Amino acid sequence: MSQKSLHLRLGIVVVLCALFLVFYAIPSFVFAPSNVGNIVLSPLFWPFVLAGLAGLVGVGLLASGFSSDDTPFEDAETGPSDGSAGWLRLLGLAAIMLIVMFALPRLGMVWTSMLAFVACAFLFRTRHPMIAVICAIVVPLLLYAFFAHVAGVAIPQGHFVRLP
Amino acid sequence: MSLLDSLAAGFALVGNVEAFFMLFCGLIIGVVGGAIPGLSATMAVALTLPFTFAMTPINGILLLLGVYKGGIFGGSIPAILIKTPGTPASSATILDGHPLAERGEAGRALGMALYASCTADAVSNLALILFAGWLASFALNFGPPEFFALILFSLTIIAGVSGESLLRGALSALAGLLLATVGLDLIYGTNRFTFGDPNMMGGLNFIAVLIGLFAIPEIIAMAWNPVAHLGKTRALGKSRCSLADYLGSFKSIIRGSMIGVFLGSIPGIGAAPSAFLSYSEARRTSKNKANFGKGEIEGVAASEAGNNGVAGATLIPLLALGVPGDVITAIIIGAFMVHGLQPGPMMFVLNADIIYGLFIGLIVSSVFLLVVGSVAIRGFRFVADVPKRILMPGVLVLCIYGVFAVNNNIFDVGVMFVMGWLGYVMMRNRIPAAPFLIAFILGPLLEDNFRQSMLMSGSDPLILFRGPITWAFWTLTAITVFAITRSTLRQKVPLS
Repeated sequence: MSQKSLHLRLGIVVVLCALFLVFYAIPSFVFAPSNVGNIVLSPLFWPFVLAGLAGLVGVGLLASGFSSDDTPFEDAETGPSDGSAGWLRLLGLAAIMLIVMFALPRLGMVWTSMLAFVACAFLFRTRHPMIAVICAIVVPLLLYAFFAHVAGVAIPQGHFVRLP
Repeated sequence: MSLLDSLAAGFALVGNVEAFFMLFCGLIIGVVGGAIPGLSATMAVALTLPFTFAMTPINGILLLLGVYKGGIFGGSIPAILIKTPGTPASSATILDGHPLAERGEAGRALGMALYASCTADAVSNLALILFAGWLASFALNFGPPEFFALILFSLTIIAGVSGESLLRGALSALAGLLLATVGLDLIYGTNRFTFGDPNMMGGLNFIAVLIGLFAIPEIIAMAWNPVAHLGKTRALGKSRCSLADYLGSFKSIIRGSMIGVFLGSIPGIGAAPSAFLSYSEARRTSKNKANFGKGEIEGVAASEAGNNGVAGATLIPLLALGVPGDVITAIIIGAFMVHGLQPGPMMFVLNADIIYGLFIGLIVSSVFLLVVGSVAIRGFRFVADVPKRILMPGVLVLCIYGVFAVNNNIFDVGVMFVMGWLGYVMMRNRIPAAPFLIAFILGPLLEDNFRQSMLMSGSDPLILFRGPITWAFWTLTAITVFAITRSTLRQKVPLS
């Protein structure tokens, strides 16, 4: 990737985001009392200023993109050696995170963490599957012991198996 | 409270085994965290933060400071032995450290890295003790307009120098400022970007944002390329760093420490530029100029002194002004907040015992670092052998527990995951994450001081230029923008 393509791409995204903020998100999701006398004290003022500045930075990125040459970055990432498998692993990790969010209140933090640990270790193609499974059991239990019994945090226990 | 009273109160606070034990543990965690490539000192501090919730403020902060200092030194071990910096600050150490390791003199290079780090650390701590109190007493004169101008200056410099491009840095800082607007309005209490969700009314949790930005992207990067971390570890060899080596490099060590102190006390610059500047100055003035880059021990000393000289100095703006100088001090400010403390000039008045307790702890940390570092050099092989593809799932689990523990809220875990993906996208697009986090922390303070200034002046913007202090900060901001823009333009049009 070159600076030219990066700045052009970022510039377009940032300008679109700034327009979205100014014309839709801020008017819809930022609320100001109707009796605010001075605009600079309004809750709307700061978000509008920031969105405006973001728009200017976006324009700056576009201008910089147009004026930059197309030489790739010296340390440009070449990506994983196994091609599209990298994308599949990213998708897999996103799925693990979604499942964690879904399972935390139902299975409890300890069991969910154990499953997430094992899933991640195998997703990363670990060369030590036995150690991974042992760690997946021990690490969440140790963390549970510390946070629940030393730090006094109410770790979610879930609906099925409860720990002391 | 007189200086002696404050010192006595500080001693009373840290004069127990538990405080020093925490500091020692912090150094061990930091050295191990810094020594594992891909884990970094920043991630080590971020992951240790949740464990401090159950501690007293002084013990928790000493633990984090230990992790910070240990992490900066720890980064030099893989830089020398496997040519992979454990932290970005150790990048300069590779230049001469790895060639030395290839010649079978890794033990000598690591010894010099340790002695230079400890010396620079002591110099940096001394600077902190001398200057922080003075700066804090000066900052007691600051009102909202002065703080607004100061924070704006800090954000400008952080956005400008923490990445390769001012525009991308500014974009990151603006995104952080925008995210900081989420929650109830500071004056009117109306909703801003809360989407009717009560979880968002108090704003996004700072620790979820920081762990999301600095730990989760590394896990995602591991999914993208699980074999990127593999490298060949060099043996220590039989040679050791001698007193003659140390004395021969002493001038470079002291110069590097001074550079570290100076750059560290300016918010945003951080350890990596300091290490490179110290290295280039040592090369420029050395008798062995030709050996630099081929395995010159003075090069290792200079770069390590440069990056460790920053460690104490970054705490100067944090403690005296309440402005974090880099990402790690931004995390440490989080620890202060979690314990109900607000760093800044008033802390020197209200919590002088904690300040002086920290100073005492920091002085001791340089000695502890020498002990921990010596053992770590010999034990690195065990750290290097930790399978990263098992370590990273462990980090994920630790993140989940740590972030949940802040507010006992699963919503925060979701925020962490979302911020993790955002951080990964930023990493892939070469947008620095440091301005984002620091702007997220300083955002409410910036807006609050702006609105207080407007309330004070009846909305007259001239109050933002009301005296020499504000003018000084505005001038520095303008100079920073001008200098960074000029250097960017010069890079684009190379001189023939």
